[in-house]
Amino acid sequence: MATSVLLACGLNEQKLPGFVHISEESNVDGSFLISCILGQRLRISNAGTLLVCLQHHYQHYFNAGMRLGYNTNIFQGKTLGVIDVLSDMAGEGLASKWLRQSEGQTLTDQLVEDIRAQVESNYASRNSYTVLIDNLSILFNLGASKLQVQQFCQDLAALAKERDNLTVITKLSNSDIYQLTDNNVAKLGQVRIQVLRLKSGVFREVDGKLLIERVLDEGNYACEETRKEVLYKVNDRNVKVFTPGEIGVKV
Amino acid sequence: MLSNLLVTKQKVVLVIDELNRERIAPKFIGSLLHEQGQGAETIKALPTGVSLKHVATFEALITELSNHNNNNSTQAGEAGDLEGGGSPGSKSSGFNVILPTLADLLCYQSPAFIFGFLNRLRRSEYVRRVFLWASPQHLQHPHAAYILAGCEYLAELVLRLETDKLLSLISRKPGGGVTNRRFSCQVSKTQFQVTPLDGGLPAGVSPKQPSPEVEQNPQPASSTFKIELDEDEVVARNALTLPYERTSEPSEGNIIYTPDADDDFDEEDPDEDLCI
Repeated sequence: MATSVLLACGLNEQKLPGFVHISEESNVDGSFLISCILGQRLRISNAGTLLVCLQHHYQHYFNAGMRLGYNTNIFQGKTLGVIDVLSDMAGEGLASKWLRQSEGQTLTDQLVEDIRAQVESNYASRNSYTVLIDNLSILFNLGASKLQVQQFCQDLAALAKERDNLTVITKLSNSDIYQLTDNNVAKLGQVRIQVLRLKSGVFREVDGKLLIERVLDEGNYACEETRKEVLYKVNDRNVKVFTPGEIGVKV
Repeated sequence: MLSNLLVTKQKVVLVIDELNRERIAPKFIGSLLHEQGQGAETIKALPTGVSLKHVATFEALITELSNHNNNNSTQAGEAGDLEGGGSPGSKSSGFNVILPTLADLLCYQSPAFIFGFLNRLRRSEYVRRVFLWASPQHLQHPHAAYILAGCEYLAELVLRLETDKLLSLISRKPGGGVTNRRFSCQVSKTQFQVTPLDGGLPAGVSPKQPSPEVEQNPQPASSTFKIELDEDEVVARNALTLPYERTSEPSEGNIIYTPDADDDFDEEDPDEDLCI
């Protein structure tokens, strides 16, 4: 269902890089990547996953998973942990801990604390562990500053460095105004996936473009890196990828 | 090699990177120092990431620098007593300090603190060189341009990596001379070769717009004057301390007076001989 897109991004392997960042340009939606990665991680036996829901609540990922051919409910509480910020807020209103800044702790501090707690309790019993955060730009809507978001990502990157086989995957909609934050988060990892719109406009058979940048080796004066471009189309039950030029207007 | 131009007597070195090489910044600077024979023991770097949140991290570096140097000078002093002479270069050598990138520093500390810390390092006698890396694409402070200009003001050597094949170097000498030179560069994973483009124009003169005099009066091929400097000569010139340049901390002026045998110096009235 989503193998081809993960293959194109190099995220189909059991062992993922420590930090992966997905940049989402204005006017495109890269949420399908999170659902694809989630499905792939859940299928690996004894691989732990923590899903931090900021843009959509858990039910959305369950529905998306069912369409892509996996059931998150089976894994929840076992290999899948969920921090559902939106549902907490909807259920508890202003009493929700995400909206109270207790003991001078900011929202991002609380989130790091919760993520760390989940990792501490589950990491040891799993072969690998993946933290998926969708989507960092929602933190701005919840009152976090750009610096706080940057510090939050630094904390996550430090967490990934502390442990082998721990991967942090973040997504940020830069909305054309958070480009600098986007750059600062991307530099923490080895892989950056940019979800871009088509420059030529809207096309029925292609939704957008993925630009995958991967640092292979950090030399003394320059990095050896690869850049790959693929076009994608999100269908109802799968995601298709094409190489640029593969499809066009048929007359 | 770039290291010939960057590892000189100038103390504060700022690298402005337009090419998004921030992730390899510490490695980049470390390699430059290695090429110039600066051993790992002379290099000190601040930890990056979350630890920059604490002021104690910065204080610890300052303390470490002074402690390490004191220990070295004590050992050198003891060795000197035994051998009958000290090592004059040991105290003046100092450390090469590699700071985290400006974007990382600004993530945890205020600009005032960063400037203050940079200034402390600049004035420290235990520090030989300070390296700071700044990538404009990563500076998200609202006053980023102003902060970068402040860092340029503090720096004695400003390297700007403009494109993959072009860089410029502004050098301020202690005597007040400023040079602005441009180089073409060839970068591989392990080497950074530079070639001067303009032969060292004075500051303020853009190499893209050569002055009309230069165009009208080209240097004759038969001239006996060699105006341009090659790389080795630039290094030699930068390494030379001119007599009027006081690079080390100023020592107090002393009057050395040796009284004559028949001098009758009266401490109560030192001006007795003036017959006032």
